[in-house]
Amino acid sequence: MELSEYVQKGFQMLADPGSFDSNAFTLLLRAAFQSLLDAQADEAVLDHPDLKHIDPVVLKHCHTAAATYILEAGKQRADKSTLSTYLEDCKFDRERIELFCTEYQNNKNSLEILLGSIGRSLPHITDVSWRLEYQIKTHQLHKMYRPAYLVTLNVENTDSRSHPEISFSCNMEQLQELNFQTIFKWF
Amino acid sequence: MLLDLSEEHKEHLAFLPQVDSTGQGTRPRRVVFCGLGGGTRGVPGAHGLLVSLAVVAEFGRIAVEFLRRGSNPKIYEGAARKLNVSSDTVQHGVEGLTYLLTESSKLMISELDFQDSVFVLGFSEELNKLLLQLYLDNRKEIRTILSELAPDLPTYHSLEWRLDVQLASRSLRQQIKPSVTIKLHLNQNGDHNTKVLQTDPATLLHLVQQLEQALEEMKTNHCRRVVRNIK
Repeated sequence: MELSEYVQKGFQMLADPGSFDSNAFTLLLRAAFQSLLDAQADEAVLDHPDLKHIDPVVLKHCHTAAATYILEAGKQRADKSTLSTYLEDCKFDRERIELFCTEYQNNKNSLEILLGSIGRSLPHITDVSWRLEYQIKTHQLHKMYRPAYLVTLNVENTDSRSHPEISFSCNMEQLQELNFQTIFKWF
Repeated sequence: MLLDLSEEHKEHLAFLPQVDSTGQGTRPRRVVFCGLGGGTRGVPGAHGLLVSLAVVAEFGRIAVEFLRRGSNPKIYEGAARKLNVSSDTVQHGVEGLTYLLTESSKLMISELDFQDSVFVLGFSEELNKLLLQLYLDNRKEIRTILSELAPDLPTYHSLEWRLDVQLASRSLRQQIKPSVTIKLHLNQNGDHNTKVLQTDPATLLHLVQQLEQALEEMKTNHCRRVVRNIK
């Protein structure tokens, strides 16, 4: 994994038991994961009494470095040995490496879901609703007497977070075509 | 239910044949020039001119084409020249015929009602028969055309689909993410619209289940009863 000097420096500080004792290290680590995975998280993740004694600039640097590293690892689907190698290079001791890997393992799924959901995709169908009606007449045509379906597809756009709907009408034969063609070919 | 033909309609249709009540079958049919005029009743001699049944059949054909594709002034001119009348006369005749056919088809009137409605125009029996045949032959198609005039909602046309598996993205490598891409073709007011959409297998299954329920609904007693009784 290729990471910037900024990250490396941050990790070197994080590795130092003089700057970060065990407790502070664990807290910072957890804060990094929380910032990434918890939608409600904000600046306050670093507001812990046991972190107060550390220089805020250093704190922010290390927090950012950790978050960057976690994202890169997630993106590359790094395994334990890859993670360990980089941390060793940053002079982490065994205990801290173990801690990091354990935390990473615990949060791996959420991380991958998060990363997988970023990006452009086509509008996504989320639901369908339908209405069955029996048409009797229109101003152009009397004595119609035929059933018709009104189908509405609920669609979600990942980018704009908008929820447009697509509605259309069809008759029974068309609804069957809509239905079975798709299902049989999928299976 | 009888058709309600206004005076103007009757006038236009009066361009079509009128037979002298004494001349049925004995007089040779000739293609002659016929003028517009008042007198819509079958008074012999009131229109004093004949047009052959073949011409009326031709006008019927033009009227149906008119419904299918819209009016074409050139046809009117051609016919007018052949018959030696003004193209306005021809146009009115065709329009009258068109109105007769569309109204009859719209209301889906019975044969008897059609005959009674046409009777007031005072045409010959052969002509009435011809008009009736024209109506019956083209009724279904005209109703299809009329039904296309109604929609304001998009209607389903067809569907294309494709199964994909996403392998990686900028933010995450080594994925296996199946998805179904769907191209939905819709028609609205003559315009063709396509929408490209995507869904995952789980949602697709859900969609299919929902739509199956929709189809099942038509087979329930309630729906069957409604369809049976509202005719």
